[in-house]
Amino acid sequence: MNVLAQTLSPYLEFTRIGFVNILAFRLRYWTGIITYLINVTVYYFIWKAVYGPAAQAFGSAGTIAGYDLAQMITYVSVGWIIRSFYWNTIDQEMSYEVLEGKIAMALIKPLSVQWMWFSRALGESVFRLGMLTLPTAVVVVLLFPVRLPASAVHFALFVPAVLGSFFLMGAINFMIGTCAIQLKSILALIRAKYWLIELLSGLLIPIAFFPAPIRAVMAWLPFAHIASTPLQIYLGKLSPAAAAVALATQWAWVAALLWLAGRWWTFSVKRITIHGG
Amino acid sequence: MPAAPLISVRDLSKHFRTFKRREGVWGAIRNLVKRDYQSVHAVDRVTFDIQPGEMVGYIGPNGAGKSTTIKMLTGILVPTAGELLSNGFVPWKQRRQYVKSIGVVFGQRTQLWWDIAVVESFKLLRKIYDVSQHDYDARMELFNHVLKLKDYLDTPVRKLSLGERMRCDLAAALLHNPPILFLDEPTIGLDVVAKDHIRQFLKEINQRYRTTVLLTTHDLDDIEELCKRIMIIDHGRLLYDGPLALLKQKLLRTKQVKFVVKDSEQAARLPALENDGLKIEPVDHLTYRIVFDRTKISVADLLRQILAEVEVRDLLIEDEPIEEIVKRIYAGEALKEVTA
Repeated sequence: MNVLAQTLSPYLEFTRIGFVNILAFRLRYWTGIITYLINVTVYYFIWKAVYGPAAQAFGSAGTIAGYDLAQMITYVSVGWIIRSFYWNTIDQEMSYEVLEGKIAMALIKPLSVQWMWFSRALGESVFRLGMLTLPTAVVVVLLFPVRLPASAVHFALFVPAVLGSFFLMGAINFMIGTCAIQLKSILALIRAKYWLIELLSGLLIPIAFFPAPIRAVMAWLPFAHIASTPLQIYLGKLSPAAAAVALATQWAWVAALLWLAGRWWTFSVKRITIHGG
Repeated sequence: MPAAPLISVRDLSKHFRTFKRREGVWGAIRNLVKRDYQSVHAVDRVTFDIQPGEMVGYIGPNGAGKSTTIKMLTGILVPTAGELLSNGFVPWKQRRQYVKSIGVVFGQRTQLWWDIAVVESFKLLRKIYDVSQHDYDARMELFNHVLKLKDYLDTPVRKLSLGERMRCDLAAALLHNPPILFLDEPTIGLDVVAKDHIRQFLKEINQRYRTTVLLTTHDLDDIEELCKRIMIIDHGRLLYDGPLALLKQKLLRTKQVKFVVKDSEQAARLPALENDGLKIEPVDHLTYRIVFDRTKISVADLLRQILAEVEVRDLLIEDEPIEEIVKRIYAGEALKEVTA
């Protein structure tokens, strides 16, 4: 236990630094809240417009791919609220550090570089949870007809699923950030990732809306576990048993991607070149 | 037979592959399809040993391979070829264990966290290196004493001057009292006072803890003040490795005598000296300089000659500045004399 505490203690310090660092950017904080509110508002009106004629076209049920309007609004709102928690910018920060040669400073510390980044990102996420996610949630719930979680059990499974989303996002961003070692400029990669995750995670449109062949492919990819899995659990689209299986699958992906990210880093770090100085 | 070396480097090489850009629009288009690579030998079969407690100066012109060597020694870069064992570790293979036993300062960048107070960075490093509170307090006191850190411990790093930042970085690198310290240009851009502080501090650390120090520098005063041993590298090859004194003794061919004559009447008599084959250069009003080869004429003879001819008010005999020697080594001219 003592050894564990000793091993973890420096990483907790990084979490603290991540937390403190984000306090330095006040403007980013306020624009963050406003951005999320705008996003939810835009999607609220889009879905309302979509469901207007759809309600007539599909008959009295007024559902599309199993979602009625109230579920859809909850899906979008909760989707954006949890995104404010699990989102991080490890990739951008890493590419900056690699380009600046600052990565050397991380390598001379007796720590795992991967967990250093994760700890920092977690600190930022915990900060955002209190200062961004919860206030946004309150405002969104007041403004829009958002439903409560399907049940207490579903909520209990939803919470670890959101944490899983953080690690999935972190592992993907860490792998993309690691690419900067060999590619130098990964701006295009970061942008492509942004839209791919937006689409494939199910944040933009529920996975159920995709054609069956694409859904089949997506079932074998980790991306849907970032947004879709926690949201399905929240909405009660899955039975408690199915939700537990989904959660386990998500965390299996977490383990796999963390391992892969570690391998990719170990492979890439050997190819590091820092010129000058 | 000397004790086992602390750092042992055998035929260490690092080649970088750089992509050669073609010129012009057509060249740019061809770059899209086919790339030509060029191999740069940043460090080329370098071999040396460093004993515990040594302070070694590592010098060379820009791009000579100094920093690349340091980066391999600190486990940041993986060598292309060769062997390297430092404090019993292969740096890039056992990075996390190895770096606990080294301190590193890169003059061009800081290992402190930019936006937080210096003392917060130190606290974080204490956790990272698992330094006990007792040791931490003791070392901070020493650092405060020699480096005068107290005044800016609560300031964020971004607000520090370069000299202050460098002192903090040195303290940060030594917080865990590592047996080996690597310094890459520790005095770059610093004023004379700050340089002096840092040199004093390094001397003290070396004496007190027998810390082994390898430092790269452009400032030869650093070497003269701190190091008995010097290694010179250029184009990735080690040109000289040995005592600083030997380098000076073998290469200090020329000396110069600077003297001030009593008045302009005396100055008028100087051409008489020139007739004896000495080259006199005017430096200032009534001040002259003679550069001579000490293998050809002894200092005593020269002085006798000068004093016989003119009345001198002041006189100074100087060695050729070490910069000049190093310049000659870089030019490849003097190398044979050292290695011979």
